Amino acid sequence: MGGIYALIAVGLTLIFGIMRVVNFAHGEFLMLGMYLAFWAFTLLSLDPWFVLFVSIPLFFGIGLVTYALVMKGVILASHNVQIFTTVGLSTALQNLALVLWSGDFHTVRPWHALTPVRLAGTAFNLSQVVAFVIAVTLTILLFLFMRRTHTGRVMRATAQDRDAAILMGIDTDRVYRLTFALGIAAVGAAGVLVSPLYAVYPTAGLQFVLLSYVVVVLGGLGDMVGALIGSLIVAAVEVAGSYFFGTAWKEIFYFLLFIGVLVFRPAGLFGQRGAETLGM
Amino acid sequence: MGLVARHWGALLIFGGAALTPILVRDAYFLDSLVLILLWGALSAAWNVAGGYAGQVSIGHAAFFGIGAYSAALLGTRFQQSPWLGMLVGVALSLAAGAAIGYLSNRLKGPYFALSTIAFSQVLLIVASRWRAFTSGSEGIPVPFRPGFATLGLGHVAWVYLALVVALLYWGLELWLEHSRFGYRLAGVREDEDAAQALGIPARRLKVIAVTMSAALTSVCGTLWAQYVGFVDPFYVFSVDLSVRFALNAIIGGMGTALGPFLGSILITSLETYLRATLSGVKSGFTGIYLIVYGVVLILVVRFVPEGLAGLSARLWARARVPS
Repeated sequence: MGGIYALIAVGLTLIFGIMRVVNFAHGEFLMLGMYLAFWAFTLLSLDPWFVLFVSIPLFFGIGLVTYALVMKGVILASHNVQIFTTVGLSTALQNLALVLWSGDFHTVRPWHALTPVRLAGTAFNLSQVVAFVIAVTLTILLFLFMRRTHTGRVMRATAQDRDAAILMGIDTDRVYRLTFALGIAAVGAAGVLVSPLYAVYPTAGLQFVLLSYVVVVLGGLGDMVGALIGSLIVAAVEVAGSYFFGTAWKEIFYFLLFIGVLVFRPAGLFGQRGAETLGM
Repeated sequence: MGLVARHWGALLIFGGAALTPILVRDAYFLDSLVLILLWGALSAAWNVAGGYAGQVSIGHAAFFGIGAYSAALLGTRFQQSPWLGMLVGVALSLAAGAAIGYLSNRLKGPYFALSTIAFSQVLLIVASRWRAFTSGSEGIPVPFRPGFATLGLGHVAWVYLALVVALLYWGLELWLEHSRFGYRLAGVREDEDAAQALGIPARRLKVIAVTMSAALTSVCGTLWAQYVGFVDPFYVFSVDLSVRFALNAIIGGMGTALGPFLGSILITSLETYLRATLSGVKSGFTGIYLIVYGVVLILVVRFVPEGLAGLSARLWARARVPS
């Protein structure tokens, strides 16, 4: 699961790092990705792996539209306005799904979800293994994009100093638009990838997104490598917790870990100290 | 301005609420009124931390749940009065509020919001998984036992009880607006560094505000559980519920005494109306009012961030000073 967490978290951390906005609606985009995979599978018998090719451009587009309609107007507003804008978006999307597709649990069961694979003595199914590989690949691609391309550099420059970026002739609005769309495309892909593994329902995003907050805060909000490492730590804590205390109580561990990190190292394990007091 | 002129809005709302049970006997209507007052009081409680101190929480359902569970558990497992449960809930919420307020003191904006969500999720997990004591995810039905001591009251009595709580909370916030404590809190909210430079103990004030807010929320949690008669962990600790507290206050006007009640009147009536009209259409359609919530929230924070109270003050000022 570490790979999936990374892909969800990397979108969240990208949006936060560059736009300085915590996207509280992130889980809802994950849920939409899951529904996309579900409908493609049920109506068109399309395998989630193929849906991925559609979902990435589609969610990129959804990200662009959401940015234009909702986020653009609040990018310079206060934290409270930003928090409640994305919270409002989350409530609206969640219940839109509820109205359109009801609260029933759906499952996606392609052949690979039923194909067992043995790795290092533990039983997985093929969906899990491939989801991990694809998620990590996408995360690394996104990371390379940020590091190696001109656009990536422009985006990082905007994150570091918005005013300086504007003075250098960077179109910050374009940067934010692209950032948001990339983040949403990443989480949408994650939604498609987890669809064979978990039930699809309107509030499916919540558990994952709470987890990805843990991951992101652990790695330092806005830090992409941190997000990758954080997701592996959370996955490890989850496995250890369910091994020692049973699956029922495992979630409590990462929330306690979360509160602990927020209290003692709010900037994350590798982040800059003091970022949290600036509300950055 | 005289006392009446200054608080005509509050007089209208609370006076209206006090007169309604005398004039109207319709149980459905009175039920809505109780809920309006309770939701208003809850948002007023949230407002102490979120509005006055600027500590925006999205985990206040935690304290609501503590209040609801304390009374329900003491009542069903130990046959104690809900009033005692309320006291226990307040004590627990004071402790929890002080702890979370102290621990997340350095945190601002989204970080604080995230830590409060995590806290309410921890409580949700405990309440829904500790089957032996809390009945787990099945929830606890609260039996109706007539009498004031057991809070088994009729609709009219509930209206007055909720009204008393609402008035107390409103009065408390009025005091906050005009007291030394309130002014210092506003200073911390607007510019913490400047406030600290002036010798205001910013951190301590914030902890006090969050703790107060937690206790006030817990009291309403107890009342709500006794009124509705059922405690469901996935509802009382939900993020949606926390958002709802904030929503009323934001729509009405954050950091104003009357704002939360204005917001509650609008949102609760809207909900009751949409529920009644849409519930028959299709089962999933009850979600529609929540879509409306979300959209309204986005629009209000974007275009009217000062809320209804602020908006009316602005219009009033414009009307008096012709430009």
